Amino acid sequence: MSARALGQPASLRVLSNGFLAFWCLVAAFPIFWITVMSFKSPVDAFDDNPLNVIFGPATRAAGNGLSILDIALGLGLICATILYSMRRLPKAVRTYGAGRSMALAWIVAVLLVAVVFLVLFFVVLPWVTGLLNPVLGPLGRDVLGATTEHYQTVWVDRGFSNNFKNSMIVTAGVVSVSLTFGTLAGYGLARSGSVLAFWILIIALVFRALPHSVLVAGYLPVFINSAEWLAPILGENAPTLYGKPFAVIAVLVAINQPFTIWMLRSFFANIPADLDEAARVDGCSHFKAFRLVIMPVMWPGVITTGLFSFLLAYNDFLVTSLLLDASNQTMVPAIAGMFNRETTTTDQVVAVAAAVSITAPLFVLVMVFQRQIVSGLTAGAVKG
Amino acid sequence: MKFKTFAAFVGPSVLMMLLFIAFPLVKVFWQSFNVTQPVYETVEVEKCTPGFLTQICTTEFQTIPQLDDNGDVVTRTTYVGLQSYRNVLEMERFWTAAKAWSWSGIMTIDFWKALRFTLMFTLVTLPLVVGVGLLIALAINNAAAAIRGPVIFVSLLPFIITPVIGALSINWLFRGDGILTALLEHWLDRDLALFAQAWTIELMMMFYRVWHVAPFAAIIFYAGLQTVNQDSLESAIIDGATRWQRLRLIIVPHLMPLIIFVAIIHLMDTYRVFEEIVGFRSQGYVISLQWLTYDFLTPDQAGNRSISRASASAMLTMIGIAVLLVPLLKRTWRDHRGTS
Amino acid sequence: MNLKTILTAGAICVAGGAASAECAFDNTVPLRSLTAGFEAWKAVTDAMAECGNFEANLDQEFSEKQPEAFAANPALYQIGGVANSTMIPLLTAGTIRPLDDLVAKYGQNLSPNQFIRVDGKVMAIAMMVNNQHLMYREDILSDLGIAVPTTYEEVLAAAAAIKEAGVVDYPIGGTFMTGWNLGEEFVNMYLGEGGQFVDDKNMPTINNEKGIASLEMLKALTEYMDPEFLVSDSTYVQQQFQQGKIAMANLWASRAGAMNDEAESQVVGKVKMAAAPMGSVAPASSIWWDGVVIAANISDEEADAAFRVAMEGLDAEMVKAHNDASVWLIPGYEPGELAAGAAATAAKGALPYPASAAMGVMHSALGNGIADYLTGAKDAQTTLVDIEAAYTTAAKEAGLIN
Repeated sequence: MSARALGQPASLRVLSNGFLAFWCLVAAFPIFWITVMSFKSPVDAFDDNPLNVIFGPATRAAGNGLSILDIALGLGLICATILYSMRRLPKAVRTYGAGRSMALAWIVAVLLVAVVFLVLFFVVLPWVTGLLNPVLGPLGRDVLGATTEHYQTVWVDRGFSNNFKNSMIVTAGVVSVSLTFGTLAGYGLARSGSVLAFWILIIALVFRALPHSVLVAGYLPVFINSAEWLAPILGENAPTLYGKPFAVIAVLVAINQPFTIWMLRSFFANIPADLDEAARVDGCSHFKAFRLVIMPVMWPGVITTGLFSFLLAYNDFLVTSLLLDASNQTMVPAIAGMFNRETTTTDQVVAVAAAVSITAPLFVLVMVFQRQIVSGLTAGAVKG
Repeated sequence: MKFKTFAAFVGPSVLMMLLFIAFPLVKVFWQSFNVTQPVYETVEVEKCTPGFLTQICTTEFQTIPQLDDNGDVVTRTTYVGLQSYRNVLEMERFWTAAKAWSWSGIMTIDFWKALRFTLMFTLVTLPLVVGVGLLIALAINNAAAAIRGPVIFVSLLPFIITPVIGALSINWLFRGDGILTALLEHWLDRDLALFAQAWTIELMMMFYRVWHVAPFAAIIFYAGLQTVNQDSLESAIIDGATRWQRLRLIIVPHLMPLIIFVAIIHLMDTYRVFEEIVGFRSQGYVISLQWLTYDFLTPDQAGNRSISRASASAMLTMIGIAVLLVPLLKRTWRDHRGTS
Repeated sequence: MNLKTILTAGAICVAGGAASAECAFDNTVPLRSLTAGFEAWKAVTDAMAECGNFEANLDQEFSEKQPEAFAANPALYQIGGVANSTMIPLLTAGTIRPLDDLVAKYGQNLSPNQFIRVDGKVMAIAMMVNNQHLMYREDILSDLGIAVPTTYEEVLAAAAAIKEAGVVDYPIGGTFMTGWNLGEEFVNMYLGEGGQFVDDKNMPTINNEKGIASLEMLKALTEYMDPEFLVSDSTYVQQQFQQGKIAMANLWASRAGAMNDEAESQVVGKVKMAAAPMGSVAPASSIWWDGVVIAANISDEEADAAFRVAMEGLDAEMVKAHNDASVWLIPGYEPGELAAGAAATAAKGALPYPASAAMGVMHSALGNGIADYLTGAKDAQTTLVDIEAAYTTAAKEAGLIN
């Protein structure tokens, strides 16, 4: 920005940066805090004294602690991973993924990094520090109480990986279906000047304003009895929609459509109509023009919109808790269940660990797509 | 674009919305004017339940629904007109209290209590979200390019975090002798109980909402700032405009469509405020309209639920949102007419 | 925090898997259950799963899903877990089957106390009882020379003495969270006063001096509570106990075990159990049971298998393995010190929770309406009038009164 070239008074800079620092603190603190809690024994986690929560004397007394060496190496590994993902990974993906599907290359790359990180962090690192700690004296003494037992409880004993898998299925389904329908509709609405298009948009806006709980409660009896009322159409094989991930995907896609088509419509409206008009003059149909001309340039907007769909599906509680069985439940209702059933304090810390686990994928997602979000929004997906 | 092509493009999307939103909506609308209830009969029943060592048997009159030949419950649907709306609004009590100029009297009626909070919540957080969002966006834009990435990442955290989890973590920080309450107590040197009166809970809920939504506003405004017309900014500087004037006369007007976009989204979402009520367990002190709907809808343990009142209350919520949105929609309408 | 612990955890997990499959028969019929999610149900459904072909759904929304899922034909679940109140919708809709034949066939090990009979037919098999009773810090009371309170007047007097002595800031804890919990507190008090919630025509009958006395006692108790009582549920009260912040509470029997949990409690061995304080007629408590029902809309073959599997879940072995998880009704249970309060409450004549369709509506109306009295927004009389009005509106809509 050239405004900066004109120089700002120091006071303004200090004020601006100070505010930013304050905001970052406010934004990150609650998440930082529950992360700290999730690594402590129940006594420490709910202690009144913040220092006890951070240093965890009771956890340390139980023999679970980290030495300065552990912390240094651990932090080093985390920083190295982040730096690698930000700087080197995109290049590596571009090199090896050239010619193939970029999306696939990214998924493989992210998975690879995640697996290597987990192995290094949970297997190699403890082994190395286990060897070095006794040798190093004061550096090797435990100073910070921390235990991963709650994570073990969540992922190993409680079968949270199953919930994770279900969340992934539902989220992937919602994002892909919602974007497919949304881009088509968004393009159609952006290129049609008809009154009908305007009213579809307004009605979609009204739909977005609906309180969801009313709609969702109406689904339950219909979904449970679907085998009966679908039987005349589908015969013997009529499915019971209740408890089926695809039924939940359909509902979430529908709930998400109004927002998606609004976002994408404004995005497409900002792509000059001359582009596809030219293709049409050359004899392309609307669909062909869409595929050849629009698809190559639409990704920034689609990624940004997709991210919002992802958040909606991943974070949904109302629909998933009501329409899914306990056996194919997603993560959010599972965690809410952990808090609400008859719990002990230990259970609560376990639930906190689950809450941190559910936030981690969101972290990665935003880290990876951060630039695309801003560029997608800049490119006009939000012109209102 | 021919209608057929248009239909092919928007068809799937519209079909989904019809199936899962429009149809249920029609049903909700219908239910708000009709009441469906089982046909009950009263019978004498002997029931035995376990005590600690021996059984306790009682004979009592019980109201049980009649079953038809297939074993299904016989139900009866009656048209009740506006009765469900009347039950929600409780106008007689409202007028009695209003005539006595008793604000607290009005505030004991659920609907009006919920409306008061919902409106206040919406109208207080709206300028805060826009203001804080704009401040963050300007500050990020003003920061050195190297730290922008990480700062945007941290800023987005409150927005992406699962709402249920976010509300709970705020809960831990403040509830009882939660860490931040302890800090405040230390600071103010007095005993605090933030969950013991309505206004502190309301304050915390508003703080939470601003914390949660301001990043969304900020990121959108930040994107908007990237496209400010540099020429007009430079000519403004040449004309000797102060920073404040440039902000007011060039940047804010440029961001206006985005501000309206954020305002519309925010109005719709806050008017449906619900998660905060559950997350902060505030229903003893403050309730919101969507919570009221949800409460009517949640079956009690014996399985009764007030579907008609819930439908009426949902329709009222929709009307409320529509009224709030009118000024903003008018502007969109003008823009639409202007461009087409 | 190192590889070894992770491996050990894995090994325990595998061992846990291998130790199962101790079921008397091999189940071949695919079965599913829908129950609440608390610890006792986990123990029972785990024991059922040993028979194979069984899928347990422990779901916190179970009470919302059960009526619909059992009404479907065929029912989506064969086995259901219910309590006094949540059985009502299944019972009235006729979606659970009488169990007399099955009990005769497979129920030799059940004690007669476990049969939930409605009109002479066994409709459910109870497995545990639960009630709220007094838990108190023995050390604090004996230090101050206070006898264990047996009525709420004595509880208040003890609380005043404890506060006076400055041992803890808030002597009393209570599950006063607005909604179901607070409603239940009123139900306990009002039952203790010998009150009747609704009459034979389902009209409300709580606006009387017993109702006012109950409300006033609730308010008197809040004077000695943490001012955030309207958000405190049983887990919170349990935590207050564990952290030594309160000295007395009328808390659920199922929470007693947590007081002596070394991993989280700072008051191990100091909390003792006693009967719920007496109202003027009965202990201010209500007895709840949890038990198993079998769906009606399934084949007899499935019902047969479901009942056998359920019996495996409710056998003496399960109780032996989880003796302190609950106050079991199953033969083989050895009541420990922690169950003393629950037993004493029942022995003094506490009444069962008066579950019925009308009571469901009443409980909700109470749960939502009492907060206004406790915060001082309304007086006792107005509160009861308003609760009755709310009840009448809801009961009319449900068709319970005309």
